Amino acid sequence: MADSYSPDSEPTTRTLLRRVLDTADPLTPRRPRSARTSAQRALLETPSSKKLRSQTKMTARRRSHKARSIDRLAHIQAGGHLEEQTPRTLLKNILLTAPESSIVLPESVVKPVPTPQVVQTSRRESSRGSLELQLPEVEPSTTLAPGLLAPGRRKQRLRLSVFQQGMDQGLPLSQEPYGNADASSITSSLNLTFATPLQPQSVKRPGLARRPPTRRAVDVGTFLQDMQDTSLALAPPGDSLRTPVTTLPTDTVLEDTQPFSQPLLGRSPTVQHSLPCPSHSGAKDVERAVGHRTWSSGPRLQNSGPGKPAQLMAGKVEEVDALALGFPNTSSNISGEDGVEPLQNGVGEEAEGRMKEGLSMREVEEATEAQGSARAEEPEEHTEVTEAEGSQGAIEAKEPEGSSGDEDTPGRTASPELASSTPEFLRARRLQFPEPAPPPSTAVLTSEPPETLSARLPPRTRIPGPRPRQDPYKTGLNHYAKLFSFYAKMPMEKKSLEMVEKCLDKYFQHLCDDLEVFAAHAGRKTVRPEDLELLMRRQGLVTDQVSLHVLVERHLPLEYRQLLIPCAFSGNSVFPAQ
Amino acid sequence: MMEEEEGAEEQQRFSYRQRLKAAVHYTVGCLCEEVASDKEVQFSKQTIAAISEVTFRQCENFAKDLEMFARHAKRSTINTEDVKLLARRSNSLLKYITERNEDIAQFNLERKAKKKKKLEDENKNSVEPAEAGAVESED
Repeated sequence: MADSYSPDSEPTTRTLLRRVLDTADPLTPRRPRSARTSAQRALLETPSSKKLRSQTKMTARRRSHKARSIDRLAHIQAGGHLEEQTPRTLLKNILLTAPESSIVLPESVVKPVPTPQVVQTSRRESSRGSLELQLPEVEPSTTLAPGLLAPGRRKQRLRLSVFQQGMDQGLPLSQEPYGNADASSITSSLNLTFATPLQPQSVKRPGLARRPPTRRAVDVGTFLQDMQDTSLALAPPGDSLRTPVTTLPTDTVLEDTQPFSQPLLGRSPTVQHSLPCPSHSGAKDVERAVGHRTWSSGPRLQNSGPGKPAQLMAGKVEEVDALALGFPNTSSNISGEDGVEPLQNGVGEEAEGRMKEGLSMREVEEATEAQGSARAEEPEEHTEVTEAEGSQGAIEAKEPEGSSGDEDTPGRTASPELASSTPEFLRARRLQFPEPAPPPSTAVLTSEPPETLSARLPPRTRIPGPRPRQDPYKTGLNHYAKLFSFYAKMPMEKKSLEMVEKCLDKYFQHLCDDLEVFAAHAGRKTVRPEDLELLMRRQGLVTDQVSLHVLVERHLPLEYRQLLIPCAFSGNSVFPAQ
Repeated sequence: MMEEEEGAEEQQRFSYRQRLKAAVHYTVGCLCEEVASDKEVQFSKQTIAAISEVTFRQCENFAKDLEMFARHAKRSTINTEDVKLLARRSNSLLKYITERNEDIAQFNLERKAKKKKKLEDENKNSVEPAEAGAVESED
């Protein structure tokens, strides 16, 4: 029977296949809907019987075959009966199971096909339509956290809808409004047309239809911007889409891969721009609303009303804190923290109770422990991002942001305090962990000799003292301890982290002693790779089966080999990048 | 044929191993008895077995390490230096070994000195001192 689908202006593979199936002579009497009953059955019998003659129970099979064939004609042939596998059936299955539209094809091709065919009653059409309907079917399942996702999606949809409006001039864009939020969002995220969803037809075989992965259309511009800027919205206010998702994974990944998280740069705090506070807060709100971090954000969000300006400053300050870790001379952390502290003492304790990701938490906690900042979330995000990006060398972008935070906070002098605060921060970082805001001083004290700030805030135990000579030494251990706590995935006590640091210290000492002895054993004064290979052999890492090169390739990604190998062969003269 | 040979070899090695293990076990047993009588504590059989097993495995490790060290120093003979390197972890053991090493070195030096003297004597005298020297060197 003629399948009345409108011929497409641009024939796609799918439509061509359909045409072939429809117009080709049914060599096998599996033609659905054909009026030939007996003839069909006779035809059915002969080929099937021919096949079956080799097998036993011919008659029974014939009958069952007839029934089966008829059934199958009415349904999609799911079963893989050998007799049924003809090219026609295979093509049919392909058509049914393959996604309706390809990503590559422009939407215009797909659109005319579904809309006219919606009305079709033929099975094929309906099955096809059911495929198309997969999208709306999928929607309800993806309303996971509608409260959280909706606002973000709404904003996303705004952009995508605008974009697609441009593309689809005149398509049923009535789905734009938030009423069809889910549908259009999903379809847009799937790069499919708007026209397809909302066809309330029954889905015959949902299991067969392949669900296209829910892809969020990545706005390359925002992504690049995210890469270069911090989460502070330096971007134009329209770019409120700074999806935390894009920042988060990069954050964690970057965090892990930083060899040393503080590239020390001598930056003067003079580079200052003023951030647009509203956009900043807006971005933060968006991020929070999207809730990629399931902070107990409820109470915190409530804070936004009264404490907003202070929070903004706090957020910026947090970020600045993180920056200061890397940049001793960057803008005033402490000063910012001072202003914010009163607001955040209570919430800070809350914040400390959480341990999202060890690294970020740690940094934030340290920064917040003295401040009791409520803006744990933001700073964490920010610190993460700043940390990560700082190591990547996108420091310039952050500098202004950090310093802008400085500007916002009134009455901050701070540059001498900055310098002091950074060693403070460096020390504070070693502390890691959720410490109660009230005795942040004890936290700092336990790990380092207590240095108290000059009269700014009693709980603030930062000291503008000389940088301890162990500082570079301990920084490395601190870094490893942080990695340790990150991979532990559980909150860790400060004492345990200290223990870890001690053990690491002993381990590395031992390691280097061994290397030295090995070199001396071979009558050399320089440690060479052979010594290291011997060491690894003793450690059991290099065996007769596994050689050093194998390990190198296994564990050292190519990108880092390019970084580390020059370092290793530099002859002990390594300077941080300027 | 080859497989049979290999199998036989395997068995030989295995039996050899077993004999070594037995020897170690016996020695460990003797030592434990001494310690037991000394400290007036009892040693159970499992303990002795465990100790001997551990000793055996450690000996294997030591041997491999010693070979590695010798190769690292581009030698083909295991030296006292290799042994000292092996023992560096434990201070007391290292000290002990170093002392013994020094004793041995001294002894070797003395021997060399004696041999030199004997050679000189031999050169002076022809036959008798040689015999005497031979006797002496044997001592």
